[in-house]
Amino acid sequence: MRKPSITQQIFTYVALLLIALFVILPIWSISRLAFDGSLKSRPVEFRFTPKEFTVTPFLNVLDRPYQSVTFTNLLRNSMTVSFGASLGAIILGLSLAYAFAHFRFPGRKVGLFLMLLTAMLPPIAFSTPLYVVLSILKIRTTLLGLLIVYAIFAMPFCIWNMRAAFQSVPKELEEAAYLDGASNFMTFINISLPLAIPSIAISALIAFLMGYSEFAIGWLFIDKSQNVTLAMSIYSILASGAAQPWSLIGSLALIMSAPVVIIFIVLQRTLLDQLLFANAGETA
Amino acid sequence: MSKSSYKAILIRSLLVLFVTAIALTLRWRAVQMLPVDYDEDDYLRAGQEFAQLIRTKDWSGFLETNYRTEHPPLAKILYGFSLLSVPEVPLIQDKPTTATPDQTLPKDLILIARLVGAIQGSITVFLLALVNPIGGGLLALHTFTIKYVSQVMLEALPALTGLITVMAYVQSKKEKTKFGSLTISAIFLGLTAASKYLYCLVAIAILIDWFLYSKEQNDLSRFIRHAVGWGILAIAIFFTVDPYIWPNPIGRIKESVLYHAAYSSGASEVQGANFPFWQPFVWLNMTPMSWHEGAFVVAPDLLITILAAFGIKRLWRKERVYVLWLAVAIFFLLIWPTKWPQYILTLTVPLSLAAAETISLVVKKATESWNKPRLRIVTSISLNRQAVFQSVPWLAPGLVAFALFTLFPLIFQIAISLTDFNSISIMDGLNGGVWREIWGGLTGKIKPVYPEFPFRSKEVQFTGISSYLPIFTWITTDGILVFNVIWTILSVGLQTILGVGTALLLWKKGIRFRRGWQTLFILPWAIPETIGALMWMTIFASPFGWLSLAVQDYGNNIPFAFLNGWESSPNRTLLILLIAGLWYGFPFMMLAATAGLKQLPFDVFDAAALDGADAGQIFRHVTLPLLSPLILPAIILRGIFSFNQFYLLQIFGFLHGNYAMTTLATLSYNLFNPSGFANGQFAISAALNIITVLILIGFVISFNRLSKADEGVTYA
Repeated sequence: MRKPSITQQIFTYVALLLIALFVILPIWSISRLAFDGSLKSRPVEFRFTPKEFTVTPFLNVLDRPYQSVTFTNLLRNSMTVSFGASLGAIILGLSLAYAFAHFRFPGRKVGLFLMLLTAMLPPIAFSTPLYVVLSILKIRTTLLGLLIVYAIFAMPFCIWNMRAAFQSVPKELEEAAYLDGASNFMTFINISLPLAIPSIAISALIAFLMGYSEFAIGWLFIDKSQNVTLAMSIYSILASGAAQPWSLIGSLALIMSAPVVIIFIVLQRTLLDQLLFANAGETA
Repeated sequence: MSKSSYKAILIRSLLVLFVTAIALTLRWRAVQMLPVDYDEDDYLRAGQEFAQLIRTKDWSGFLETNYRTEHPPLAKILYGFSLLSVPEVPLIQDKPTTATPDQTLPKDLILIARLVGAIQGSITVFLLALVNPIGGGLLALHTFTIKYVSQVMLEALPALTGLITVMAYVQSKKEKTKFGSLTISAIFLGLTAASKYLYCLVAIAILIDWFLYSKEQNDLSRFIRHAVGWGILAIAIFFTVDPYIWPNPIGRIKESVLYHAAYSSGASEVQGANFPFWQPFVWLNMTPMSWHEGAFVVAPDLLITILAAFGIKRLWRKERVYVLWLAVAIFFLLIWPTKWPQYILTLTVPLSLAAAETISLVVKKATESWNKPRLRIVTSISLNRQAVFQSVPWLAPGLVAFALFTLFPLIFQIAISLTDFNSISIMDGLNGGVWREIWGGLTGKIKPVYPEFPFRSKEVQFTGISSYLPIFTWITTDGILVFNVIWTILSVGLQTILGVGTALLLWKKGIRFRRGWQTLFILPWAIPETIGALMWMTIFASPFGWLSLAVQDYGNNIPFAFLNGWESSPNRTLLILLIAGLWYGFPFMMLAATAGLKQLPFDVFDAAALDGADAGQIFRHVTLPLLSPLILPAIILRGIFSFNQFYLLQIFGFLHGNYAMTTLATLSYNLFNPSGFANGQFAISAALNIITVLILIGFVISFNRLSKADEGVTYA
C-alpha cells in the first residue's frame, strides 16, 4: 500500500489523540480524587489536579479500607475466590470441552445448543437455586460457597472457549499420534492440551476477572465482613451513600485495578493479539 | 377465465369479507366498552358545533368554526354529520386538553360518533385486505389501531384516506395512462391533510418512491411535472374542504402548524410525560389491553411488530412504497418531540403488511417442507459405536458438573417461577416447599392460587403460570424491554464503529508507537467493569462529579454543560450510559478487528489502488466486506453481553433512579435481593430470568439462521 500523505498522517494522529483522551479521561478523573489529601468527603470544587498532592489515601487503604477488615484480608478473599473459581471452572469444563470438540456422539448438537444458552444466561439466573442449595449445605455465607458460585458463572463460557481451542488443533496431528499407538488420553495430554494452553489461559484469566470484579451476587450470599472481597467492599462504600472521603474510594479503586491492568499489559505482548483471535478466521 | 381462477377470486373475496367482519365486530365491541379518553370531549364538542351549523343551515358559519383549531376540520365535520341522527344536547364544556376525561359525557353522542370512526376503521381494514388479506387481518386485530379508531379521535379518517392515497399511487404505476389513479391519489392526499397533518407523511414516502421509480425509467423530467401537478391538486383539494382557512389562508394555516411546534416543545403534558425518543417503539411493543380490561379480545401487537421486522425485505421487493411509508413514519415519530400513542396509527397499515409477508413466507416454507419427500441423509461417519464408547469417560465428569450446576439451576428457576416463593417464605422453600408445591400443582392435587403482587405469603404456594402475563405486561408497558433492546443495539453499534475505526487507524502504514497506542486503548477492557463505572461516576454524578462542579464553578457555557442534569431526561441518561459503555466495550472490538485485519491479503488492496480506487471506495468495497464476517462473531458476543449488562447499569441506576432504564438482568437482581426495594421477590425474579432466556433463545435461533454463528463464536 502507498504511504499516506501528510494531511492523512495529521488526521490519523489527531484521531488517535482524541481516542486516547477519551480513554484517559475517567482514569484521570478518579486519580485526581485518589491523590487529593484535602478531600474530607465529596469534592466541592472543579479542579484538574489534586489540591494537596499526597499518597496518604493509598496508605490508609492498605491499612484499613473497609469497616474493621484489613486490606490484606480483602485481597486474600478476592484472590481465593476468583483464583479458586477460575481453577474450578477450567478443571470441571476441560473434559467436556474436549469431548464436544473431539467426539461425535448422539445429542451433541442439543448439548452444544444448551451450552451456548447457558453461556448467555445472566449470572443472576443462577442465583436463586444456588442460594437455596448453598443454604441447605450451610455454606452460603462462606468463601467456599462464593467460590462455587463464581466457578459456575464462569463455566459455560470456559467450556465454550476451550472447545473452540481444541477444535482448532489440527486433526492430522491427533490422528498421527493415535496411529502411533497413543491412547486417547495420551493424545490429549501430549498433543491437544499443550496446543490449547494459550486459549485455556485466556479462559482462566477471564474467569478470574469475572470473580475479581463481581460484587452484586457476592452481597446476596456473604453477610460477614470477614468474608467480603475487594469489589464487594467498594460497592458497599458506594451504596452506603459514600460517607467516606472520595480520595479513599478512588485509591481503593486504583489499587484494585492495578494487578489486573499489569497482567493485561504483560499478556497483551505475548498472548492477546497473537492467540486470542488467531483462529477466528478459520471457524467464522 | 378458467374455473379455478373464479374459485380463487371467490375464496379471496370471502376472505376479505371475513376479515372485514372481524374488524367491524372487534371495533364495535371497543366502541361500547372503552371508557372516555383524553381529547374525546374536545372532538365531540367540535362535532356538536358543526352539527348545530348544519341543523340551522348556517353555511357561512363554517368559515369561522373549528373547535381545537390546531387540527383541520374535516374529521370533525364528519362527526358533526353523524351527530345529526341523535337529539340535540347542550354543548360540552370547554376544558383544557389536560383535564381528566369526563366519564359523564352524553352516552348516545359518544356512541354514534365512535361508531362512525369504527366504520371508517373497518373500511381501512377492508381496503388493506384487498391488497393482502393477511395484512388486513392483522390490522383488524391490532389493539392500538382498534382503540384509536373506536374513540372520538381524529385518527380514523386520515388513516383511511392515507391508505387510499398510497393504493391509488401504486395502481398508477401499473397503468399506462396514469392520470386517473394519480388524480384519485392527489384528491385523497388533500382530504388527509384536511383531517390531520401528521398523516401526510405518506406523501413523502410516495415522492421518494416516485423519484426512484422515475430514475429507474430514466424519466426524471416527467416525474417533476407530474409530481408538481399532483401536489398542486392535493393542496387545492385541501383548501376546498377546509373552509375554516378561506377567510385568512396563510394566517390560519400558520397558526395551526405553529401550534404543534410550540405544543411539542412547551406543553406541560408533553413535558410531564417526559417520553424518551424511542417511545414509539414502546407503543409498538405493548398493548392497551391492560389499560382497558375486557375491551379487546386478543392483543397481537408485539407479535405484529416482530413479524414486521422480518418481513421488510420481502415487502421491499414486492412494493417498495409501503416500506418507505413505514420508514418515513418511524423516523418522524422518533425525532418529533410529541409522542402520543395514537400517532402510531400513521404506520400500523404498512406494519401489518410487512408482518403479513413474514407469515406468508413461513406458511410457504412450511408447506414446501411438508410436500417435499423426506430424504434421510445417512452419514457414514455418524455414530460409530466405538467413538461413542470412547467419548463416555470424557463426557461423564463434565456432564455431571454441567447438569448439576447449570441445568439444575435452570430447571429450578422454572419451578420457582411457578410459585410465589419470596424472602418471607424462605424457610418453607429451603425445606422443600418449592418441590412440594410444584409436585402437587402439576399432579393437580393443589389448585393454583392467584396472590397479589408483591408476594408476601409465609409458605410457598403454587401459582402456575399466572405471574408471567402481568410480568410481561409490566416490562413491555413500562418500556423496559424496549430500552434493553435499544441499549443493546446502540451500544454494540457504537463500540463496533469506534473499535473498527481505531483498528483501521492503527493498521495504516508508518504509525509511530503502534504498540503504545494499542496498550493504552486496551486499558478500559483490563479495568474491572465495576471500577470503570465508578470512574465515570466521578465525572457524571451530581452534584459532586467533575461535570457538575465545572458547571457550578464556570457556568453553563462550558462544553458538555448540556449533559449536566442528565438524570431527569431519559434521552440524556441513555447518552451517558452509552458513553460509559462505549469506553468499556470498544477495546474488545478493536482487538477483534485488529486480528481480522491481519488476516486480510495485502495484494487485494494494492490491486484496488492500482485500479484507481480512492480510500473511501477501498474501504467500502474491499475492506468492509472482507472484514465483516471476521468480526461478526465478536459482534454477536458483545450483543449478548450488552443485553445482560449489569454492573454499569446497576451503579448508574443509583444516580438516575429510573428502573425502566435498565436491563432485565439488573431488574431481576434487584427484585431478587432480599435487602433491596422488593424484599426478595424470588418468584418474580425467576420468571423474569425465564423470559430473558426465551428472548435469548429467539436471538440465537434467528442469528444461527443468519450466520452459522454457533460454530463461529470462538473467542472472548
